[in-house]
Amino acid sequence: MKSLLMMLLLFPLLGGLYHALLGVRLDRRWSEIVAVAAVAGSLIMAVAAAVVAGGRPVIFPLLEWFSVGELAASMDAMYDPLAAVMAVLVTFIAALVHLFSVIYMRREGGYARYYCYLNLFVFFMLVIVTADNLLFLFLGWEGVGFCSYALIGFWYRDAYHADAARKAFLVTRIGSAALGIAIGLFFTAFQSLSMDYITHHAGMLSAGMVLAIGLLLLAAAAGKSALLPLSIWLPDAMAGPTPVSALIHAATMVTAGVYLLLRLYPVLVLSPVAMGVTAAVGAVTALYGACSALAQHDIKRVLAYSTVSQLGFMVLGIGAEDPTGGLFHLLSQAFFKALLFLAAGCIIQSLSGEHDIFRMGRKVRHALPKVYGCFLIGALSLAAVPPTIGFFSKDRLLLTNLTHPSIFHAVLWIIGTLTTLITALYVFRLFFLVFYGGPGPKRTQAPEPGPVRPILVWTLYPLAFLALAGGVMNLPIGSWNFLDRYLMPVAGLGPPLEASPSLEWGVRIGNAVVALIGIGLAYLAYGPRPLKEKPATAPDSMQNLLYSGFYLNKLYHRWVVRPYEQAAAFLSNRVDHGGVDAVMTGSGRLASRWSMNLRLWTTGRLSTYLGVLLAGFTAMLVILALGLL
Amino acid sequence: MIVPFGHVLFLAGLLFLMGAVCAAARRNLIMILMGVEVMLNAAGLVFVGAALHWGTLDGQAFVIFIMGVAAAEAGVGLVLFYYLNRRTGDTDADSYHTLKG
Repeated sequence: MKSLLMMLLLFPLLGGLYHALLGVRLDRRWSEIVAVAAVAGSLIMAVAAAVVAGGRPVIFPLLEWFSVGELAASMDAMYDPLAAVMAVLVTFIAALVHLFSVIYMRREGGYARYYCYLNLFVFFMLVIVTADNLLFLFLGWEGVGFCSYALIGFWYRDAYHADAARKAFLVTRIGSAALGIAIGLFFTAFQSLSMDYITHHAGMLSAGMVLAIGLLLLAAAAGKSALLPLSIWLPDAMAGPTPVSALIHAATMVTAGVYLLLRLYPVLVLSPVAMGVTAAVGAVTALYGACSALAQHDIKRVLAYSTVSQLGFMVLGIGAEDPTGGLFHLLSQAFFKALLFLAAGCIIQSLSGEHDIFRMGRKVRHALPKVYGCFLIGALSLAAVPPTIGFFSKDRLLLTNLTHPSIFHAVLWIIGTLTTLITALYVFRLFFLVFYGGPGPKRTQAPEPGPVRPILVWTLYPLAFLALAGGVMNLPIGSWNFLDRYLMPVAGLGPPLEASPSLEWGVRIGNAVVALIGIGLAYLAYGPRPLKEKPATAPDSMQNLLYSGFYLNKLYHRWVVRPYEQAAAFLSNRVDHGGVDAVMTGSGRLASRWSMNLRLWTTGRLSTYLGVLLAGFTAMLVILALGLL
Repeated sequence: MIVPFGHVLFLAGLLFLMGAVCAAARRNLIMILMGVEVMLNAAGLVFVGAALHWGTLDGQAFVIFIMGVAAAEAGVGLVLFYYLNRRTGDTDADSYHTLKG
């Protein structure tokens, strides 16, 4: 068991080291094989470890890291059902993305760097997933942040990409700071950083401590999982290559924050206020992301805002005391979002780098019929149309909010249902524009779609299957709730509240109808139509508001970036140049002026030296004789 | 001792001052060396006078050393000047200003 876990972590790490040390010197083909094999090996180990563990939580010390006084940071691995589900998910998606990358990135330089960071990305995510010690988790947390920075800025010579990478790195650091403080509070409270210990002794915490830690954990998750108000980095992270986007959105980056909340759920649940704030942040983020996705032009930005929205749903589920539902939605989102991103990658490659959905159209559907089918499945799943996995996971989250005793959650339920409607609307707007749009004003210059390599399409099939039929893993009927039962041994994770069958079916049918209405609206506004007719558009002010993501970037720029720049300019000009530097250069100039005067003494004339010698000697003797000293 | 000690000191001081002024003011190397010799002898004079005044032989013995040092100094100095003169044909101290800062 221990060796399985070791190999699970070591495969991607060794893969990353191989690319870092040997990748450039050896053949490109070898890099690709090593990268894919490392992650595939990791996937096999994750599955094997899950089978061997058999649903029981197991904790292993892997390595001693350091210990100072009472603070012991050992690299302990915990492999319980929650970690097992996540590890299998992460390695599965990552393996497909690696395979996709081999073809997608075949014409790009810097392949050793690319595969190195891709493998390390998976390694650090697996560290987060399997860590028991909070500091070990923090190591993975920061490593994931660094790898995302390196991959978003893969084309770093272009200022736009480099800026996006820096932005992602800086914004996620805010969450990291919150997590660091939370770890410190945990240590002062428990004298231990083992999450297993913490979750089983969470009752020891005082009420104030629980609230502080709960809010800090939420802030940490908001940074990593792009929840409001820290969601601004995710849409810009689209600057990276498309497979990286798929990896970030489905498996290795944004799920980390949600996973942290699930891991430490027994602490979070103790504070009703923190739970309420979590649920509210989730609901508002879901609505925000969905609305912003409505007006985007870039196919990847639509999907990015959609991820923001879906992450909001997961957190909403956790806040409504259904962490298993949150995890279920995490899985479902991972499947259909990876599917949509990889399909988008196929389309982008086929159109030789075109991202603008108003320049795509029916030609794409004719050129790529298989991608069209897979994209449709992904879109249906995202729009929560039965019987896709997206329907079951979202239905469960909404039902949990409705059955929650607090009236507050009824409001969140309304927001959630509204978001479901908008979700169906934006995803089918995207779908119709990409695959059915006739030649509009911008389409005349659109590039001709070319064929794509079949391997790219093959990687979509397993994801399409899971997005369509994955709901079987946790059906809300009878004893089909395999995921619920599998996760039972994990502290804090259990089945949702019981609801009366009539309410349950009412909500379920209602959700399906809402999703279908959304699709119908999208069809009316953007569906196939005669070539001359222009698609519907919203008023400009509305369009701009949504397109810019409610001006969130501008707000940050106005209230954070600009004051910071002004403070920096003040410190640089007034304090540094005007103060510190002035003192330094002033004293230097004084010394050099004095030395100019002293220089006059060294005339090179012997008589001067003798005269000075005699005068000085005389002065000394006079002082001694008169007893002045 | 028939000469008062004060007179000896005054004469020695006068000689020392003259030697110092000669060494500092003249530019010819030979004259500077002579100034230094006069200063050394002024010091020797004080030693002799002091020895007689206090009736000890230490001062007189010291004068022998001073004379030896002065002779050696004059010998080495004159040889140096001789070589300098041969190289540049110049005995003016101010011509040698390569140490000027």
